[in-house]
Amino acid sequence: MVDFIFCRRIPDKTGRINCTNTEIMNHMEKISLSKGFTLKLAGMPDTSVIRLPRPATVGVSAQDIPHIRPKLLVKENDSVKTGQPLFCDKRDTSIQYVSPGTGTVKKIVFGKRRRLLEVVVALETMDDFIQFDPISASQLHQLPKQDLVHRLKQGGLWQTIRQLPARDTADSETAPPLIIVCLNGNDMFSPHPGLVLQDNTRQFEFGLSVLKQFSDRVIVAARTDSLKLLSPVKHLITLEVPDIHPAWDPGAILYHIKKEAKENAAWYINVQGLVRMAQFLETGQYPVDTMVTVTKGNDKKPHMITRQGSPIRLLAGNLPLNSLITTGRFNGRRVDPDTHLGFFENTLNIIPDAPADEMFGFIRPGLDKPTVSKAFLSSLVDRKVQMDCTMHGEKRACINCSYCESICPTDLMPSFIMKALVSDDIEEALALGLLDCCRCGLCSFTCPSKIELAHILSQGMDMHHKDKQG
Amino acid sequence: MNPLKKIFELLEYDFSDAGKFAKLAPLFDATKTFFFLPSPKNKQGPFIRDNLDLKRYMSFVIISLLPVLFFGIYNTGYQSGLARGETLGFWASFLSGAWVVLPIIIVSYAVGFFWEILFAAIRRHPISEGFLVTGLLFPLTLPPTIPLWQVAMGISFGVVIGKEIFGGTGRNILNPALTARAFVFFSYPVTMSGNIWVAGADAVDGITGATALAVTAEGGSSLTSALSEQGFTLSSLFFGFVPGSIGETSALCCLIGAVFLMVTRIGNYRIILGGIAGLAVTAILFYFLPGTKGTWAAAGPLYHLCAGGFLFGISFMATDPVSAPGTNPGRWIFGFLIGFLTVILRVANPAFAEGVMLAILFMNVFAPLLDHLVMKHRISKRIPNV
Repeated sequence: MVDFIFCRRIPDKTGRINCTNTEIMNHMEKISLSKGFTLKLAGMPDTSVIRLPRPATVGVSAQDIPHIRPKLLVKENDSVKTGQPLFCDKRDTSIQYVSPGTGTVKKIVFGKRRRLLEVVVALETMDDFIQFDPISASQLHQLPKQDLVHRLKQGGLWQTIRQLPARDTADSETAPPLIIVCLNGNDMFSPHPGLVLQDNTRQFEFGLSVLKQFSDRVIVAARTDSLKLLSPVKHLITLEVPDIHPAWDPGAILYHIKKEAKENAAWYINVQGLVRMAQFLETGQYPVDTMVTVTKGNDKKPHMITRQGSPIRLLAGNLPLNSLITTGRFNGRRVDPDTHLGFFENTLNIIPDAPADEMFGFIRPGLDKPTVSKAFLSSLVDRKVQMDCTMHGEKRACINCSYCESICPTDLMPSFIMKALVSDDIEEALALGLLDCCRCGLCSFTCPSKIELAHILSQGMDMHHKDKQG
Repeated sequence: MNPLKKIFELLEYDFSDAGKFAKLAPLFDATKTFFFLPSPKNKQGPFIRDNLDLKRYMSFVIISLLPVLFFGIYNTGYQSGLARGETLGFWASFLSGAWVVLPIIIVSYAVGFFWEILFAAIRRHPISEGFLVTGLLFPLTLPPTIPLWQVAMGISFGVVIGKEIFGGTGRNILNPALTARAFVFFSYPVTMSGNIWVAGADAVDGITGATALAVTAEGGSSLTSALSEQGFTLSSLFFGFVPGSIGETSALCCLIGAVFLMVTRIGNYRIILGGIAGLAVTAILFYFLPGTKGTWAAAGPLYHLCAGGFLFGISFMATDPVSAPGTNPGRWIFGFLIGFLTVILRVANPAFAEGVMLAILFMNVFAPLLDHLVMKHRISKRIPNV
């Protein structure tokens, strides 16, 4: 593994990391990974960028925040400034989720058992920011680590750093063995890092130097397909991952680069989070813009810059009847069109419904039925496919067919782990590598018995994390 | 709207919880989903799913069995004609074969489905597609002369004891079709073992004839010449124009099915190739053993491969994913040992002429152990993450 560890240099006044040995700096490692989702999906977004109009409302969702026990800090009809905390995490009240706009709290939406779903803010025309002192790149190195953490927590951006394997907010009390910067998002059509970084190269470098305050080993990973548009920051990328979903997921990356058990507690951060963290430190104001992609059928929609927490309806446009909207086909959540995009989410997939139940569907040749198996004629043609939001079958017992094992990017045997979990044997599940699961969802995707493997494994991991926290 | 769909919608209420046939809901569901592939919306992520489901999975096994089935029907008629001293044409052979074989298949499906529906109704779970395969595999392992009541007894044992008492599909230890056959084999040895019966279209008792595996050469001549004297040349064994159980005689048709299963990845190639390798290696070892001239030890791998039911068993029985190991190294070992044990039983055990059924059942029992060992090894290779 060649990464920053070999070019540890004290940054100069501009905050740039000067590495004398450019050869090492330019050396990009590559991981090989053959298992994963190999179909080509239609609807890749265009590389043009548009800016959406200012939304009437923004929302801060609590649904995409893992493990959180939210504690509200505002009431309905309170007026809030941009950057003002709306709720915090009861487990650590210094971790706050702040308003991405100035206005009044229009509605606080609760779900079943009074679980907080989202806080909706009606925007005013002008932003009034909560202002912090800007920190320049040169000041960064004089700042004690605790102060840096404190500032990021105050600004509502510390939680952009998360910690494997539970993907909870990073624990600032511990020192991470390494930090993975993921240039690509959770979905295969998440925003292109080249477009995210095209005007933010400086912030990206600043962000990396922030991360260097926490760990000497920072790994910047990008998928092969993205490298073309990433030439301005190419010298900063240390790891190339193949174009197979989910090779760019932090869990999958960690599994393929780790050498010892202590690396399991690695931190990771998404490229947009890193850029926003740097923007916040530089300006002292909460950065409100984010880039999102929307995929719908064969449309090649442009990348969109919008306010964080924009309404789904604004982003998604017209919705086909009975379609599902998700924030990631494989591992996102299902969203209602009347809610708002979450803190960590930057892609929407509008997945169409299937035509009515097909007569003798199980024995048709299936030229139009995408599959990763070899049991349909479609497996003989190499073309872009469209997939609908239905199950294509009914739930059955596990028949040990190993389709899940042959697709798992982290070499797990999901069916055996599932059996251990449903029989309450967490020890066995952990020994089989449960916590290496990167929640990519491919096991559920491929299972011919339609068992919710990914859901069962995720639940097992979450339960384990909860137990561990006490 | 499709008229058939209308009928199902009209009947839906009667089979619902409030309806008068609520107990038979699984039967209704199975019939309905046979005609109309259900595709409910995904409730949990991932929100797109592969098109392969268990219905298609199991129907592909049925498709792979079609060459064996049609050849079996034809050959049954052809052999019965030969036994009566006449050479029947293609259609005559096929029709007289169908007259014998179809009742066996119908009884197997009817009785087996009765048990499936009974258990599904009591346990309130859907009928599993796995039985479609079991119900066809079992008749193909039987001699055509078997009395139909024995077919009914066999499939009842296979479904109830082989599968349902363990909890149904996915939880059984042994292959249900082979369990059924083993039951018939040990309970009614007269109809099943050693000398098999050639189905006669009119003669109830049929005519006996030795299977190739029961042949030994006497007086110092070689086994192959003794075999060809009795009509078992390598090519007749390969193409399958010999008497035997309905589905097992043609090595060629079994290979076609095996290739289909391997290409579509429905059957695991590791089991099939491992099995053939195990059989070949063991047969070669015995071939070089001194003093075995004239027995099946000296037959060599090709005769072992083509004679008897090995190819049928390894292609369609051993590849049953539920009773085979769930790990890839386990599958190689599983297949290899089936091949090995088949030859051992054929050569070294005077009690049984054929060993493939017992070899597969024996290895079915060992499959969880193989999985356990492989998993232990794999766990030791992983970087622990707890």
